[in-house]
Amino acid sequence: MNVIRAIQLYVDKMIADAGPGMKMLMMDRETISVVSMAFAQSEMLQKDVFLFERLDSARSNERLKYLKCIVFIRPTRDNVLRLQRELRSPKYGSYYIYFSNIIPRTDIKSLAESDESESVQDVKEVYADYLPVNPNLFSLHIPTCLQALSWNPEALERATQGLVSVLLSFKFRPAIRYRSGSTAAQTLAKKVHETINKETALFSFRPPEDGAAPPLLLILDRRDDPITPLLNQWTYQAMVHELLTISKQRVDLSGVSGVPKDLKEVVLSTEQDEFYANNLYANFGEIATTIKVLMDEFQKKAHDQRKIESIADMKNFVETYPQFRKMSGTVTKHLVLISELSVQVGRQQLFEVSELEQEIACRADHSTQLQRVKRLVSEGKISLDNALRLVLLYAMRYERHANCDTSGLLKLLQDRGGRAHIAPRMLEYISTVARQELFNTVKITDAVKLTRNLIKELKGVENVYAQHECVLKGTLEEIVKGRPLDAQYPIMGNEVPFRRPPAEVIVFIVGGATYEEALAVHRYNQEGYRIVLGGTTIHNSESFIEEVLAATAGVPFKHSRSLQQFHQPPAGTA
Amino acid sequence: MANPFDEPSSGGFLVAGGTSNDAEILEGFLCPICKSDLRTPERLTVHVEHEHSEEQDLLKSLKEIFHGILSKGKKKERPSQQQQQQQANSSIAGGESGVALGSAGTANNPLLQSASQQQVGSDCDHFGYFKAVRNPRLERYASETNKLIIRLDKLLDGCPTEPDQKKRHEQSKVPWIDGKLVKLCPSCAKGFGITRRQHHCRVCGSVMCDGCSLYLSFDDAYRIVQPNPISPNDTAALQQQQQKQYEPNADVETKSFRVCEHCLHLLLNRMEMQDSRRDRPAITRLYDRLRQERTDIEPHIPMYHRILDSLYEGDVIFRLSDASALRERIGRSAERLDTISKAILGLAFATGSREEALKKALRLACIAYIKERMLAIPPLPVEEEIKRIQQRKREETARRLERERLLALEAYERYELNQVASGGADPPSNTVSSSSTSSSSTASTAEMTVSTMDNWTGMQLGPSATVVTSDPLLDQINIVRGYIRQAREALRFEEVATLERNLAELTQEFYHRQRLDGGPESTQPAQPEP
Repeated sequence: MNVIRAIQLYVDKMIADAGPGMKMLMMDRETISVVSMAFAQSEMLQKDVFLFERLDSARSNERLKYLKCIVFIRPTRDNVLRLQRELRSPKYGSYYIYFSNIIPRTDIKSLAESDESESVQDVKEVYADYLPVNPNLFSLHIPTCLQALSWNPEALERATQGLVSVLLSFKFRPAIRYRSGSTAAQTLAKKVHETINKETALFSFRPPEDGAAPPLLLILDRRDDPITPLLNQWTYQAMVHELLTISKQRVDLSGVSGVPKDLKEVVLSTEQDEFYANNLYANFGEIATTIKVLMDEFQKKAHDQRKIESIADMKNFVETYPQFRKMSGTVTKHLVLISELSVQVGRQQLFEVSELEQEIACRADHSTQLQRVKRLVSEGKISLDNALRLVLLYAMRYERHANCDTSGLLKLLQDRGGRAHIAPRMLEYISTVARQELFNTVKITDAVKLTRNLIKELKGVENVYAQHECVLKGTLEEIVKGRPLDAQYPIMGNEVPFRRPPAEVIVFIVGGATYEEALAVHRYNQEGYRIVLGGTTIHNSESFIEEVLAATAGVPFKHSRSLQQFHQPPAGTA
Repeated sequence: MANPFDEPSSGGFLVAGGTSNDAEILEGFLCPICKSDLRTPERLTVHVEHEHSEEQDLLKSLKEIFHGILSKGKKKERPSQQQQQQQANSSIAGGESGVALGSAGTANNPLLQSASQQQVGSDCDHFGYFKAVRNPRLERYASETNKLIIRLDKLLDGCPTEPDQKKRHEQSKVPWIDGKLVKLCPSCAKGFGITRRQHHCRVCGSVMCDGCSLYLSFDDAYRIVQPNPISPNDTAALQQQQQKQYEPNADVETKSFRVCEHCLHLLLNRMEMQDSRRDRPAITRLYDRLRQERTDIEPHIPMYHRILDSLYEGDVIFRLSDASALRERIGRSAERLDTISKAILGLAFATGSREEALKKALRLACIAYIKERMLAIPPLPVEEEIKRIQQRKREETARRLERERLLALEAYERYELNQVASGGADPPSNTVSSSSTSSSSTASTAEMTVSTMDNWTGMQLGPSATVVTSDPLLDQINIVRGYIRQAREALRFEEVATLERNLAELTQEFYHRQRLDGGPESTQPAQPEP
């Protein structure tokens, strides 16, 4: 189960089906990201795909009849209309049309009626309708999916299509479970379930042999764990995303000073960059050592290259040149990234901030933590964003505490010019379930959890910056151990729930996944489990706060009446 | 029937064979020829070596099998077991053979099961439906277009230049619709009158107003009626012409036909389809050469790696000169690719056009291919090093063979002792049907000669092959050598490898026969050429 591989296989198949000859690939805004996350352009060139074009942007009228045109687009109404126009006056010799999801029959009919010069050679649905981020992580690139805490209809439609395509690309007909209490998760589960039942022909896969449990699609809600996206992370990928923002595998470094010209935008792809693939989940300390080793190796090679004395040396140099170039590119790229990360860590005092964040997230110690938050927020050494995050964490943790002083902290934040109005919104966003369960306010009856917490406390802390465990980790533990799920994660439809653990699990988080959760999934996969994580998007704290603001826009304040003075954003800001 | 001499190191390896007559199932280490149970792999090998020396293939496969098992060479074990299975099947009529493979323990948790190779996901084909909708329409269009073309042909045939005569000629060929029946222009829906006069489409005869009339020039009409192959230079000129066509100008009435929009669309569509079928611009021809060159060289690159691996392994099938010849060939091919892609880059296209981007992409792809696939091949090994490796390997093999032989004999003797002690089972029976010694091997080489002759028809054999010797086997050996040399010169290393294997078998057979016969040493073949 590798989502990148799944997309690659689809693209390879499309290209192979078009046969030999010069080819061009016509895509739309979304499919171009799908393809670019699975392949580098140079790889596409090696497959004889030489030109790339967007169906939905202005195009030249040149006719290149000797080219084969592979069309890979989402099955939207607009795309079909544009394609009809294209087919009426075809610019290319032949067309191989692939839709990235289920397309209505009427659209096929109208396309067929437009193909007057018989240039279409193939029409297929392939289910590559999601962005493969890591081998175990996909995103649907829906930046905000809720409005007034329920689904935005377009986002719901897109999420349903995305999940259906993930299932079809793995040939799964899953059992669907959703987090009880989350209407968003339940709605999506219902939609996916309906689609599966409607498209019986597509989902008629051979049932697993000897009655093994079917794959599991588990739909969760970000509102049940708003803590994870707010914490500073210390693994490479998560840090880069938090501090520099990864958008569709690309990192914009134009704002960083002293960056070479050709590194204004760098691509971080696990497929093309071995160093990155190996160090995605390495923590900041390890990665500094690794890059040191890489540097030494590189310098040794660079040194070797310098002593070119004879013809043989020269030849040797030319022979190893491509690898040399490749390596030098990788080294420089990661060196720039890592040095920028360490600059940020120092400037934002992230060690201190992160330690306190982890403390708040993991243990209850109200008075000390309040003092420390107060000091950090008022001192002004840490950035406003980090101050806000500390206050948000505090506000959620001690919402019901007798001496809760969220308003005092917000006052301090506001005095510094921080966005205090976000705190009440966050308190509206966090779900009831999370309120009850997130901060170890376990009922005595839940003996298992109680003992687990006890053991955790006894064991002590290995790494103060990585104490926090995301909710997903506990959930996965219950799934792989085959514990009963029906109470917390009811099954959609009237399928008989299987007692045995499923062979494959797809987890989807409404409201966005995080790289910390991807790491949790990765750890399980390393033990041999087969789990894929997806989200409406991949969040860092900044994008998450945007999502919270969008989701709670216009919602009446229920839980945060006491913070009334902070409800309205200061004039001039959104 | 249990195997009395359960050999743990054989890893559950059994040869079960039943004779066709009594369908009795035999198990154990059976000789495929005389069906005697030899109990141990070593003894089976020795037995075959002595009793069925003509069965070189069998002996070889046995050695491979048992060597694989004894040394627990995981790489060889499975294929050789299959080989053994085939062997047993072919040599024992109606025999059954079973290979007990160690069953992989199934994991308790299904999540932990090892991931199989990921397959491409589902898809859904709509092309059938697409064609079902499209094709009837296309057929209708096609018949309509053909009708128009036939009319156009009639119109062009002896068309007078004088306008009045032309009009009469046109009207005589195509029946025009009665203008009185049409009150409004069918395409713009405006009424006809003194200012807006009626006109007729010359090919379908329908009515339209002047504003809705289009024109088909005689040139285009001729091209539609008589599609002649046009050279690329002409197409460019014609395309230019096409740009400024259908604009009514001075001699439009005499040099073209007035047509309606529908007819023009159909006719031009047909013309374009014909053109695009013929259109072979320079870039496609260069691209085809590029592709041809690449498909030619593609299999050689893995071959080069294989030769190098084999050299470093210390095998003697390939030589250093082979590697260097192949390397040179890859290098030359890279140069050719470079030249072609430069020629593509040299093609003149309008700046900023798609074709400009295309040629750059082609060149880029070519450079990347050369760099990553062709120039990245590892350098040639040093000759001394290879010699050293080969020497070491020879010594190792000799030592190992000796050791195995000793072990086998030891085991055999132990077994004999056991037999004596228990006083039980019969000694291995030696009822061997002796066949003519060289029949099978010569048959196989003859076969090979035929197959290789097919590949090398018309080529003269090397001088060493024509040396007359008394022994037919020796002749075969020399002929094969000749083939090897030829294959080598043509850089066909797949064949070299096969032939070398054959040669090794032949030589082995030859030595063996000499040892058996105690025959004349004078005709001993020379060592393989350096």
